[in-house]
Amino acid sequence: MTQLDIDIELKRKEFQLDLQISLPESGITALLGPSGSGKSTALRVIAGLEKPQQGMIKRGQRTWFDAEKKVFLPPQQRRLGMVFQDYALFEHLTVAENVAYGLPKEARDYHVNYWLKHLHIEEYAERYPANLSGGQRQRVALARCMAIEPDLLLLDEPFSAVDLSLRQTLRYQLKELVKDVNRPVLIVSHHLEDARYLADNVGVMVEGQLLQFGKTAEVFANPVCYTVAKILGWENFLHIDEIAGTTVKGKWGSLTLDEEPHIEMRWLSIRPEHVRIAIQGQSGLTATIEEITDYGVYRSVKCILQDGTIIHMHRAWDEPLPIEGSTVSLHLPLVNIKTLPSYIQSIKAYPKEKFKNISPALSQTS
Amino acid sequence: MISDIDIQAILVTLKLSALTVLILLVVSIPLAWWLAHTRSRFKVSVETVTALPLVLPPTVLGFYLLVFMGAQGPLGKFWIELTGQPLSFSFTGLVIASCIYSLPFVVQPIQAAFERLDKSAIEAAWTLGASRAKAFLTVVLPQSRRGLITAIVLGFAHTMGEFGVVLMVGGNIAGETKVVSIAIYEHVEVLEYASAHMLAALLLVFSFVVLFIVYGMNRRMQMGFHQ
Repeated sequence: MTQLDIDIELKRKEFQLDLQISLPESGITALLGPSGSGKSTALRVIAGLEKPQQGMIKRGQRTWFDAEKKVFLPPQQRRLGMVFQDYALFEHLTVAENVAYGLPKEARDYHVNYWLKHLHIEEYAERYPANLSGGQRQRVALARCMAIEPDLLLLDEPFSAVDLSLRQTLRYQLKELVKDVNRPVLIVSHHLEDARYLADNVGVMVEGQLLQFGKTAEVFANPVCYTVAKILGWENFLHIDEIAGTTVKGKWGSLTLDEEPHIEMRWLSIRPEHVRIAIQGQSGLTATIEEITDYGVYRSVKCILQDGTIIHMHRAWDEPLPIEGSTVSLHLPLVNIKTLPSYIQSIKAYPKEKFKNISPALSQTS
Repeated sequence: MISDIDIQAILVTLKLSALTVLILLVVSIPLAWWLAHTRSRFKVSVETVTALPLVLPPTVLGFYLLVFMGAQGPLGKFWIELTGQPLSFSFTGLVIASCIYSLPFVVQPIQAAFERLDKSAIEAAWTLGASRAKAFLTVVLPQSRRGLITAIVLGFAHTMGEFGVVLMVGGNIAGETKVVSIAIYEHVEVLEYASAHMLAALLLVFSFVVLFIVYGMNRRMQMGFHQ
């Protein structure tokens, strides 16, 4: 099995999708992004349900799409499994008939039985989809596309139709299921936990552009810009108004970094768990504690800097904290501070080497 | 009892209705699909023309059809050249007129069903390897079955009950173009109330039974999916 190579350009009236990505031979890749970022369209393009104007899609040796050579394989010939957002089950067929749909007659019984058993839905074989719960419907949809032994598995917001309480269970089941499937799996989601828990690789899409792509942990730890950081759940941002040597200044105050940041850097960011209250002798930013919320294992402290910027701090449940309304000095460890540009163009326009030059924080940790 | 002429009228009516529905299904399924999915600027015009028979008085429609299909009309002339037979006042002409008259009753329920369809179910079928034709037959049509049944029932019933158009285009030829509604009218005109009653009651019972069976079937299908 070889990988999936995608390089496409799709233009619509008010939207342009520009995606260049290579998926490894196996493992899960998640595409994250706000709604309207084009991630679902990307999935539809890969499935052959939309035709891009430019580019190519290759699955191993097979060309699925090549604009120049005028090759366009319809979805029927791509041999892929797609789980739709609403599962798109055939409501007029039973569960067993749904799973059998894509199978040739002679192979039907064996494969249907296997997949019903494998996904623990044998007892619902004779039921109609309308009488199933969200989780059961998802498993039927999975069984239906796994049964045809697809070369590629595509999942569009696979957990959007199930309760929060079920999500974790289903994520676990999905991970188990694709673990021994030796083919690329691409998931589109706007839930960070889906990506964190399931994905080996993560891509972040904004307005039809892929802004970052890499190993999940790396991407979450090193967002390339402010926009991506926000999508990946980073919370604390200090705007940089001025860079003078290693010192950066904003309305919130100033900080001296280890290295001089690149001129394009516009934001400092730090994760809530890295913010702490300065001990004697440590420099810090003056802030007022606005609110303390107890989450059990940790407490979230909402602090307000002098200019109104909000900084969230997560501290262990047993760490003593000043009361709400008191003034404190917040310590932001330099090693945990990221400097970020506001926005970058797509990855295509910003080769990796350039990232390293503009982001000392990035090269420092990687 | 029922006279031979009346029995003939019943047979003509049933034949006409069945044939009309059959032809209309063949025409309406592609037309409804196009109307449900097209973004063409002609959509509104086509929709309007399709719906015209709903609002036109049957005599107006019948009059234009007569002009169109008469010996001097474009279709009538062509038909005479083709077959040597006139189209007006013939069963064939009646079938053509009925098809136009009942078109909206067949197209509209099917179009509504196609518009309600779960588009992703069709796409799912494609990704599972089903050709467009297979997906249409195994996903689109079954999922539109309620619209199809409604279309068949409405088309059949509407054709059975037509009067004005038949009178204008078909006239009143026993065994050829004389349908039940015209037979009833004739009986009433000459005060044969008993015969009129017979035919009227027959239509009433028939309509009731057909609708009852269809609704019963619809209900069973629905329940089947929700058990």
